[in-house]
Amino acid sequence: MSEVQVRGLTVEYQTSAGWLPAVADASLDLRAGEITGLVGESGSGKSTLALSLLNAVPAPGRIAAGTIEVAGVGDLTRLGGKQLRKARGGAIGYVFQASQNSLNPLKTIGKQLLDLGRSHEVSDLRGLIARALDLANRMGLDGKRVLDSYQHELSGGMRQRVGIVFALVLNAKVLILDEPTTALDMLSQASVLEIVRKVHDENQLSTLIITHDIGAISEIADRLAVMYGGRIVEDGPLLDVLRRPTHPYTKALIGATARITGDIDAARALPGRPPDLTTVARVGCVFRDRCPFAVAVCAEVEPPLEAWKVGAEEQIGRRRACHVDPSTVLSGTPGTPAAVGEPA
Amino acid sequence: MIEARGITRTYQTYGAFTGARTVHALRGVDFTLPDGGAVSFIGESGCGKTTLGKILTGLESFDGGELVVDGVELSGLKPHQRAKYFRRIQMIHQDPYSALNPTRTIASILGDPLRMRAKETGADATTRRERAAELLTLVGLEPDAVLPKYPHQLSGGQRQRVVVARALTVDPTVLIADEAVSMIDVSMRLGILSLLRDLRARLGISLVFITHDVATARYVGDDGELHVIYRGEVVERGLTDEVILAPVHPYTQCLLSAVPIMRGLEEPGPDRTAPTAALDERAVTPGCLFQPRCPFAQDQCAEKHPVLVPLGDGAGDGSGAGDGAGFAGGEASEHLHACFYPEARRVVGVEVGAASA
Repeated sequence: MSEVQVRGLTVEYQTSAGWLPAVADASLDLRAGEITGLVGESGSGKSTLALSLLNAVPAPGRIAAGTIEVAGVGDLTRLGGKQLRKARGGAIGYVFQASQNSLNPLKTIGKQLLDLGRSHEVSDLRGLIARALDLANRMGLDGKRVLDSYQHELSGGMRQRVGIVFALVLNAKVLILDEPTTALDMLSQASVLEIVRKVHDENQLSTLIITHDIGAISEIADRLAVMYGGRIVEDGPLLDVLRRPTHPYTKALIGATARITGDIDAARALPGRPPDLTTVARVGCVFRDRCPFAVAVCAEVEPPLEAWKVGAEEQIGRRRACHVDPSTVLSGTPGTPAAVGEPA
Repeated sequence: MIEARGITRTYQTYGAFTGARTVHALRGVDFTLPDGGAVSFIGESGCGKTTLGKILTGLESFDGGELVVDGVELSGLKPHQRAKYFRRIQMIHQDPYSALNPTRTIASILGDPLRMRAKETGADATTRRERAAELLTLVGLEPDAVLPKYPHQLSGGQRQRVVVARALTVDPTVLIADEAVSMIDVSMRLGILSLLRDLRARLGISLVFITHDVATARYVGDDGELHVIYRGEVVERGLTDEVILAPVHPYTQCLLSAVPIMRGLEEPGPDRTAPTAALDERAVTPGCLFQPRCPFAQDQCAEKHPVLVPLGDGAGDGSGAGDGAGFAGGEASEHLHACFYPEARRVVGVEVGAASA
C-alpha cells in the first residue's frame, strides 16, 4: 500500500536556454512502513524531487507534468492556497537540508513550535507541546530544556532532531529528510540515523531519505532509488540492489565509496563530472558519457525505467533504465574508462 | 620533518552571567611527521582537531609545548623569522565552496600567491604563468579550460582540486588537509584522496589529514599513522590499519562503530558499541576524560587519569583480541593507548564472503 504515489513527474526550471527539466518523468512509491533512500550526486535533481512532494518547487521552477497522490489528501499538484498549506506539515513532514541552520535564531524552540501550531490552526496548543515533549524525549533529548533553548545552545545533532520533532508533531504520516546527516560527524550521524529508524518504526511512517552518501543510507533504508541527471535509473529492495547493481551508475557509485575495510585500490572515483541542467544529454541515455558499458544505441534512445525480468520471470520490485544486459553489468567492466579523475 | 611535543591550547571565555570558563582545546599533543609521511587525526566535532591544524599552519598560537620544524623550535623565533617555516606548511580548506573568492578567476586566484613566491625565487611573469598551468595539470585539471573560469563554473571536486593547486603555489613540503573531502560528493571523494596520495608519492609532500570520517584516512597512503583525539587529548595512536582492525580504546571503538555498514556487502563487526551519553565539553573529571560516556568504564576510570602507554605494557593486554587482531602483538611499541582496560574489539564492518574465503 502506497502512502505517496508519484507518477510521471516532470519538474522544469526556466533558464536562458528555455525550460529545462531537472526531474524528468519520475515515478516513485513511498510505501507505509518502509524507508526509501534516494541517492544521487549533486545536481541530480533529488532535492528538486523532494521539494515537489510538497509542491514547493521555488521559482523559476514549475511542475510541468505528472501527479503526486498522497493518501488522504489527493493529488498534491492540484492543490493550492489553504489546502496546500495544510498538507505541508500536516500530512507530509519535511526536514530541510541543513535543518540545523533553518531554525530561527531569535526565538526559543518552544516559541517556534507554537508558531507552527498557530499557522496550522491547532486548537489544543497544550496538547501540541505535550506531543513535542514526548517526541523529543523518545529521541533522547531533554524535551523541556530543548523547548526553552535557542538554536545556538543546541549541537548539530540535537538541531537535526528538533527538525524531526517539528516534522512529526502534527501527526504527519509521511516523513521526508533532505540530507539529514551531511555536516554531522560520525557519532552524531549514527545516532540520528538510529533515531530516524526508531521514530519511523514507532509511528509506522513512510519515510524518504535523500542523500549523496550511499554508505549512510544502506545502514537503515528498506528500498533504494538511484537518481542521475534528473532520472531515476534504478530502484528496488536495498539489499538486492547493493548486492546486484544492474545499472552501471549504481555499480560505479557503490565502487566509489570510501570503505573502512577491504582493498583500497579496488575503489575508484567516478570518471567525469556529474551533469547539470544545461549539460545533461537531451537525447539518449543521460549516463552514457561516463559509462564503461555504453553501446551505440545509448546515444540515440533514452532507456525507459522498466521492471527487470530474467527470462519470463519478473524480479520482485526491481526496475532499471539501461540498454545493456543486466548480466553484462553484473559480471564485469569491459573497457574501464580511460581517464580516472575529472578532466575539465 | 615536523615534531610536536606536548602542544597545549587553552581558551578563556567570559560570559556575562556564567563567569570565566576555561576550554581546553588541546591538552598536550605529541606527534612526529617525517618527510613524505602521513599522519591522520580523527575525532568528533569539538575535539580540538581543527585547532591543531590551525596551530600547524601558524594561524593560531599555542600556549604550551614545542613545535619543531626541521630542528628549529618555532616559538622562540620572531614572527618574520617564523614566516619562512610556515610558508612550507600549507592548508587545504574544508569547504571548496567558500575557500575561493567568487569574484576572481582561477588565473588570478593562483596568480597572487605565485607572485608572492616569485619575490623569493625571482620568477618572471612567463614562468609564473607556466607554473600555474603546470600546477593545474598536476592536480588533474585542463589549464586552458580552467584558468579563465570563475569558481562557480566548476564542480565541487574541481574546486577542491583548485584549492589544492593554490596550496602548492608556494612550494610547500607539508599539506594540512582539514576535512578536505567532507563537503564534496561521495562519488568525487576518492578522486581527491588519490590526488593527495599521488602528491605524496610524486612530490614527496608530507600530509596531515584531519577528519571525522575514519574510512577516508585509509586512502591517503600507506605507512600512515592514525591519532585518535578526544577532548584535546590523543587517546590512541598506531598504524592506520592496525588501529582500525584492532582498536583498544573504547572511544576509538565507538568512533569506528559509527561508520555505516554497507548492508548486503558488509556485516557489522561482532563487538559494535556506542557511547552511553552525548559529549559534554564542560564535564570535569579527575579521571579518564571519556569515562562519563564509556560503555566499559570501571571504578578506577573515574579516579585516575590514564596516559598514553605502549600496548602490552599494562594489564589486560589485548587478551580479548580475536584472530583478526593477530598482528597487534607484533610491534607493541608502535601502538599506543590511554586506557586502563585496553581490549581489542572488532567493531568495523566485515566484507560478506571475506570471512568464508
